[in-house]
Amino acid sequence: MGWNMANASPVIQTNKLSKIYSTGRVNVEALKDIDLDIDCGTFVAVTGASGSGKSTLLNLLGGLDRPTSGAIEVNGKRISELNRGEMALFRRFSVGMIFQSFNLIPSRSALENIELPMIFANAAKRDRKRRAEAMLERVGLLPRRRHRPAELSGGEQQRVAIARALINEPQILLADEPTGNLDSRTSRGILELLADLNRRQGLTVVLVSHEVALAREFSRDIILLRDGRLESREKVR
Amino acid sequence: MKISDYIELSFSNLWKRKLRTFLTAFGVMVGIGALVAMVGFGKGMQKNMTESFESLDLFNSLTVFPSGTMTRRFGADPDDQIRPQENPQVQPAVLDEEAIKRFEKLEGVQSVFPEIRFPALVKYKDTQEMRLVQVIPAEIASSKLIKLEAGKPFGQDDEDSVIIGRSLLGPLKIKDPASVLGQKIEIASIAFDFTAFNPMNIPSFLQGKQLPFKRKTYEFAVVGVMGPMSLGNTSPLQSDVFIPPGSAQRIEKLPFTNIWDLFQARGGTLGYSAVNVRLSSPRAADAVKKEIQDMGFSTFALIDQFNQIKTSFVYMDMILAAVAMIAIFVASLGIINTMVMSIMERYSEIGIMKAVGGSDRDIQKIFFFESSSIGFLGGVFGLALGWTVSRIINRVLNYFLAKQGLPFLEYFSFPLWLCVGAIAFSIIVSLVSGIYPAHRAATVDPVIALRHD
Repeated sequence: MGWNMANASPVIQTNKLSKIYSTGRVNVEALKDIDLDIDCGTFVAVTGASGSGKSTLLNLLGGLDRPTSGAIEVNGKRISELNRGEMALFRRFSVGMIFQSFNLIPSRSALENIELPMIFANAAKRDRKRRAEAMLERVGLLPRRRHRPAELSGGEQQRVAIARALINEPQILLADEPTGNLDSRTSRGILELLADLNRRQGLTVVLVSHEVALAREFSRDIILLRDGRLESREKVR
Repeated sequence: MKISDYIELSFSNLWKRKLRTFLTAFGVMVGIGALVAMVGFGKGMQKNMTESFESLDLFNSLTVFPSGTMTRRFGADPDDQIRPQENPQVQPAVLDEEAIKRFEKLEGVQSVFPEIRFPALVKYKDTQEMRLVQVIPAEIASSKLIKLEAGKPFGQDDEDSVIIGRSLLGPLKIKDPASVLGQKIEIASIAFDFTAFNPMNIPSFLQGKQLPFKRKTYEFAVVGVMGPMSLGNTSPLQSDVFIPPGSAQRIEKLPFTNIWDLFQARGGTLGYSAVNVRLSSPRAADAVKKEIQDMGFSTFALIDQFNQIKTSFVYMDMILAAVAMIAIFVASLGIINTMVMSIMERYSEIGIMKAVGGSDRDIQKIFFFESSSIGFLGGVFGLALGWTVSRIINRVLNYFLAKQGLPFLEYFSFPLWLCVGAIAFSIIVSLVSGIYPAHRAATVDPVIALRHD
C-alpha cells in the first residue's frame, strides 16, 4: 500500500468550512471551521455521534449543499464557488454518492436506475445499456437487472446504488452510512466491495459511519467529529 | 440530455400513472374537441358561403346604379360610397342604352345587361300571383347564374318565352316542374302612364290614390324552371319570372322597381334603375368600378360586401372559440393540478435525479415534456373527438333539414391549419400550465428531498 501513500496528493481540501442551518430564530451550527485534506486514492472514514455533522460534511463535499463560510476544493477546483449549473456537472462527473436508504427510484429497474446518470451525461442509448450491464456484472447483479428495487434485498439495492454512483467514472465515492439499514454480514460484503474498488481502481472513498469498529477495519484514516468540530484524526495503517 | 431521452422519460412516467394521465388528458381532449368542432363549424359555414358565391359566378358581376340611389337601396355603409355631391363636377348620370355601350367598351367587361324588373300579375289557368318580372338576355339565361331544374334557357332574345322559378310553382298550383314546360302563362303588366303623371300629384299617389297606371296582358310559353335559390342569396337575379329583352320591349312597363326610381324619372330623362356588368374575371372589378364611378354612377360589387361578411365571420369564429376556451382553461387547471401532485409524490425522485447530476434545467425540462405530452395526447384525441362529434351533428342536422327539402350540406370544415393548430395550441396550453410545476420541481433542494423518507 506504500506506493499509494507515496504519491498521495490531496484530492479534497477544506478550509475553515462552516455550515449554519437557520430554522426560524434558532441557528444550528452543524459544522464549524473544518480544515481537512483527503488524499487521492485513500479510504477515509468519518465517524461521530448522531448529529455531529457527518452527513452535513458529506453533502458539502458532494456538492448537494453549500457551505455558510469557508472553501472546498476538489481536484483543485473550488466547488464552493460554482454556480448551480456547474454544481450539477460536478455531481454528475466528479463524485458518486450512496446513502443509507439506497435512494433508488422505485418505479425503475436496476438497469434503468444505473442508466440515469448517463442520461444526464448525454450518453447514447446503446452505450448506456452496455455500460450499465458491465457495471451490474461488476457488482454481481447482472441476472437481476430487470428487477425493481422492491424486488431486491437491501444488500442488492446498495450494490445497485454503488453501480449507479460509479457509472460516470468519478474519482471519489461518498458513502453516507451505506450499511445503516443492513445486517452485519451484508454490511461486511458492501464494505468489502468498496475496499476492493479502492484497492483495484484507486477510487477515493469517504465513508460516513457511526459503526467505529467496522470503519476501523476497512479504512486507512479515521476522522472523528463532535458537535460539528473536527475532534481527531487517526491513521489506522 | 437528448430530446429522445426527454420524450422516453416523460412517456414512461406518464404510463406509470395511467389513470391520472388519462383523466387529465381527457380534460384537454374535451376542450380541444370543443374548439375544433366550434371553429370547424364556423369555417364550414364560411366555406359553404364562399363556394355558393363562386359557383354562381357572383364575384364576376358588378351592379351599376344611377348616382345617389345605391345607399338607399342596399343600406350599405354610406362612407364607402363615392357620392355625387362630393364630385360636383360630375353630371348626374343616366343609365340608358348609351351608358351600357360605354360600359361594354371598358377593359375587363364581358357583357352588360340592364336590370329591368317590373311588377306584374302572373296568371296560369285560374290562379294569379303578383311578382317582379326580371328581364335577362339569353346569354345570361344560359350562364351559371341560372340553374335550371327542368327545360332549357331561351335561345334568343326575342322569343316569347319565360323561365319561372321553382318558388312560383306552389302558388300557381303546379306539382311537377316538367309538366309546366310548353304551357302558356299570362303576364299582365301594370304600366306607368306618363300622360297621367303630374309632379303635383306625388303625395296623392304615394297614398295609393290616382295611380297613373294602365294594364296590358301578354302571353309567354314556359321553357324552363329554375331550381331553388340558396339561403341568403344575393344574386343579381332577384326574381322568379324571367323574360328575354326582345319580347320585354313590346311590353309597356315600368322601368323602375321602387319608389325612389319615380323621382329618378322626374328629371325628364329616363334610365334603367340598375345595370349588371359581367366581368371577365374578379380581378378586373376594381378598375372597372373606378371607371364607372368616374362616369358618375354608383356601383355595387358583391365582392366588397363579401369582405364585410368575412369580417363578421371572424367575429363569429372568435365567439365560438371563446366558448371552447373556457373548457381549455379548466383543462389547463387540471394539468397544473396533476403536475403539482406528481411533483409531491416524486419529491425524493427529484432529489435523486439531482444527486446523480441532473441540473435544474434538466429537471425543469423533464416536467415540461411531461405536461406537453399530456397536451399532445389531449390534442390528438381532442381532434379525433371534435371530428367525430361534428360528423354526428352533421348527420343529424342534415336529417332534419332534408325533411324541409334543403339539400345535403357539409356544415363543418377542417382545414389542415385547424388540425395542426389545434394540436400545437394544446401543447402550448399545457406548456404554459407546466411553467409553475416545472419551476417548482427545478428548485427542489436535494438535501431535503433525500432526507424525505
